[in-house]
Order: sequence, then C-alpha cells, then structure tokens
Amino acid sequence: MGKAAKELLELSLAQAARFVKTGEVSPVDLVGASLERIKAVNDRLSAYISVFEDEARKVAKAAETMIMAGHDLGPLHGIPVALKDNLAVKGFRTTAGSKILKDWIPDHDATVTERLRRAGAIFVGKLNMHEFAWGGTSDNPHYGAVRNPWDTERFPAGSSGGSGVAVAARTCYGAIGTDTGGSIRLPSAINGVVGIRPTYGRVSNHGIIPLAWSMDTAGPMTRTVEDCAIMFNAIAGHDPNDASTSRTPVVDYTEALNRGVKGLRIGVVPGYFFHHLQPPVRDAVKAALKTLEGLGADVVDVNIENIHGNISAQLTIEAAEPSTYHQRWLREQPENYGADVRSLLEIGEMLLATHYLQAQRYRTLLRQEFIEAFKKVDVFICPTLPFTATKVGAMKVVIENAVEEDMLSAIMQFTGVPSLTGLPSLNVPCGFDPDGLPVGMQIIGRPFDEALLFRMGAAFQSVTDFHKRAPDL
Amino acid sequence: MAKRKEVTPATIGALADFAELPLKPGREAVINATLEAWIKDANELSRKMSAEKYRNLAPATVFTHPGETEEGG
Repeated sequence: MGKAAKELLELSLAQAARFVKTGEVSPVDLVGASLERIKAVNDRLSAYISVFEDEARKVAKAAETMIMAGHDLGPLHGIPVALKDNLAVKGFRTTAGSKILKDWIPDHDATVTERLRRAGAIFVGKLNMHEFAWGGTSDNPHYGAVRNPWDTERFPAGSSGGSGVAVAARTCYGAIGTDTGGSIRLPSAINGVVGIRPTYGRVSNHGIIPLAWSMDTAGPMTRTVEDCAIMFNAIAGHDPNDASTSRTPVVDYTEALNRGVKGLRIGVVPGYFFHHLQPPVRDAVKAALKTLEGLGADVVDVNIENIHGNISAQLTIEAAEPSTYHQRWLREQPENYGADVRSLLEIGEMLLATHYLQAQRYRTLLRQEFIEAFKKVDVFICPTLPFTATKVGAMKVVIENAVEEDMLSAIMQFTGVPSLTGLPSLNVPCGFDPDGLPVGMQIIGRPFDEALLFRMGAAFQSVTDFHKRAPDL
Repeated sequence: MAKRKEVTPATIGALADFAELPLKPGREAVINATLEAWIKDANELSRKMSAEKYRNLAPATVFTHPGETEEGG
C-alpha cells in the first residue's frame, strides 16, 4: 500500500467525512485504501467473512460522482464501514457466523443497514463473530478464529470480535456490532476501540439475527468517541418495524462533545467495581478516573445493594432465550453448531421457568437500584472487563491468585449490569498492560442519556492518546 | 428449600427427555459441569428473589405503558 493510502486509513471517520465533503478526498480512494488493507491483513486476522469488493467500488464511484455534482447524501457520505454478519444486507449472504445460515441471502436490509446506507456509508464487508453471537471469544469453528491485531496469538473477545478487529486494524472507519451481554463493549476494550451499547430500545434490532430478545442491542464501534457519536446519529431512533424501540426523541449526539466534564458526578460501586481484577486493568481505570477528576469531575462511592448475583441472572436469561430461538435447529441439525454453542443451547433447555423469571425479577430490582442511584451521580465508571486479551482458544482465564476461572462467567463481570438494566454504556480505551494489550473503561449512564456518555468519553480522549495508537501488523 | 442432589448425566437425560431434546450419546458428560454450576447459582438467585421484601417485584418481561414509568417513557 502506498503512503497516501496509509495516511487515508489513519484519518478518523470525522476527518475523512470532512475531506469527502470538501472534495479533498474521493470516496473511491477511501474505499480503495480500505479494500487493500483488508487484503493485506485479513489472512492473519480472520476479521471478515465476506468482502464486497466489486459492489463497494461501484458505490464509491457513484458517491464520488454525486459529491462532485454537489449532492451530499449525509454525514457518512463515501465512508467505508463494515457490518457484523448477523445484520441483514439485502442480496448478500448473512451467516451470523454459523454453518446453519451459510447460504442465507436476505431479501431485506436490517433497519441499521438501511439507515447507514441512507446516511451515505459504503459497506466494504461483513464481519466474523462468535457463532450466532453466543459467546465471548469469536473463536469461530466455521470461518476461522478472529485474532487480536495487537498480538495475533491473543483473542479479540466477542461476540463482535470481527468488528473490533476491523476497526483497530484500520480496515474501515467504523463497524456495527451487536451487544447482548457485552458483545460490543468487550471486543472494543480488548482491541482498544470505542463502542457503545445503546439504551435498550434506542436502536432497532429489525433484521438482526437475535440472541436474547430482552437484552439484544446494536451499536457502532470506532476509533474515536466523535466517530461513534456520528455513526450513532445515523442509526438511533424509533423504528415501526421493531416494537421494542422507543419513541423518546433522539438528539444530536455530537452536539455536547466539547462541553467537558466539570461538575459531573461519577459513581463507583465499592466492593465491586475495583474488586477481582488483573492489576494492570485496575491501575489503568483508576488512572482514568484521576484524569477525569483533573478535568473537574467528582468521583463518588455509591452502593448498589444487590449488584452481586448479576452474572447468574445474565447467564440464565442469555441461556434460556437463545435456546428458545434455536429449538428447532438444535433438534434437526445439532451437528452443524460449533461445540461450545451447541453445549450452551442444550444447557439453556434445562433451566427452569422459575429460574428464568426470578432472573427477570432480579432485573427489575437492579434497575430500580440504578435509577435511584442516578439521583446522586450522572454516570458510573468501572472496567469493561477484569482482564486483558487471553490466548486464542483459551476457555479459562486467570484473574488473580493463579486461579483458573470459566471464561464466559468471568468476562461478564461488569458488562452484565447494563445488559440486565437496559442502561446505555460506552467503552473508551484507557490504557495498556505491560504486554502492550489494550484496557478499556465502561461508562454507564441513565436511560437515553447516550449524549452524556459521548461527552465524557470525548473529554477523556481530548487529553489522552490511547485511541491514537495503532497495532503493528 | 430442600438440599439438592448434584446434576448427573442421568439428571440431564431426564431433563432432555422432558424437553423432548434427543441428546446424542456422550452429550450429558459434556454439559454436566457447566449446568451444575449454573443451576447452583440460579437456585441461589431464586432464594434471594423469594425473600418477603421482594414479594411485589414483577419480572422485567411485563408490558409497561410509556409515560407512566419512572423515566417518563
């Protein structure tokens, strides 16, 4: 790849979009650079299941013609983005990372796909993921294990592993992930990018292969908070095709990015948020809190009495709902699932209805406690997950005292809380461990207060450079 | 609550039978340990949520009416 293409790929989405509008950069060049980068790195990363080379080049040419004619499609005009492979794209294979759907060609776009298209985005491909989004490693038995660009022997987390890797590796300017128990935030943290899980109901799930209906969300993953807010503007809002979406008005999520954090109150739950962590993760997130205090925010201890128990509730719901969706396939073609997903789907059939409903009652309790706590603070901040990237294929993780723990339970220590309560949460890169692996912090906000999360994340990025570092591939 | 016996391949076989889920031979052993851990934690959560102080909590699956919730819909 020539120097010019490399420079193009280092631009943020916001910068690239501005250059397209002024005619300084052509969508043809952006898409060309993106496709060349995918070609150069995808063999090592397995981030893409499908690459839309011909289609993307054709659309880029049309986007160039339109902008030269003074016709601006919107804030993403000519910007190469990629979609997790559980979002429907009309006329293109959508596998959900599975063998079962390996030949499925949707006859419609997902609402998120359609809204990005309408805002001018150009799709360069579909991204690898944990099979059917049911797991946190993206070790996909059908399309290859996705690998972390900071160390290709390490995992990228998941389930939106391909999305996190594609953005971190500079193959596109933004990607869409989906998040049920942490599947946007975990790969964002592990790969050193920004990612938002919206308030439940803020972004449509229409046209997305479900995992667990009562917790599923979709959101953007990018290198900067500003980029994330720009993409969020394009996809947020009520959708008549998804009855779970809210009519609460959307705002311009970029508007408050420069307002700073002076006087904002950050909650920390003592005995939970900084408990049971790898030391480099604890140190990085504590340092991030100090940085935000330095910018004028106040850090306040706030007790959430019943926060313990959230992982079991998360696992129970996340087991029962997918097993319902997959009930027929599990009986007709169990051999077509990967080993781990097949086991999880079988287990989900064996939990009792009372387990499921007690977990749903627990959600009500936990949400009430957080809503009450938001009278005292504006956001909560904790680590996104308690450890940095493990080796590809690992099913156990060591967090402290040389004790091996089950990966699935351990990885949800902090991401399960917003998933259960429906609250929005944003991962922002906040450091690296001694092996050079990224660490992320999770900012949790009030329902529909995504703008405040972006504001806080942008303030942090305005005085730090973690998001500017690139993996050496 | 009564003390529960540990999950065994035989228990799993019975549960699969109730669900009309035909498990291939050997599957019981594969899922045994995870199911045991999850059932243990789920039962603990059920005990917690059965406490008198939570008697009036409805599950998060009920229909709500916009404009009447604590967030104002």
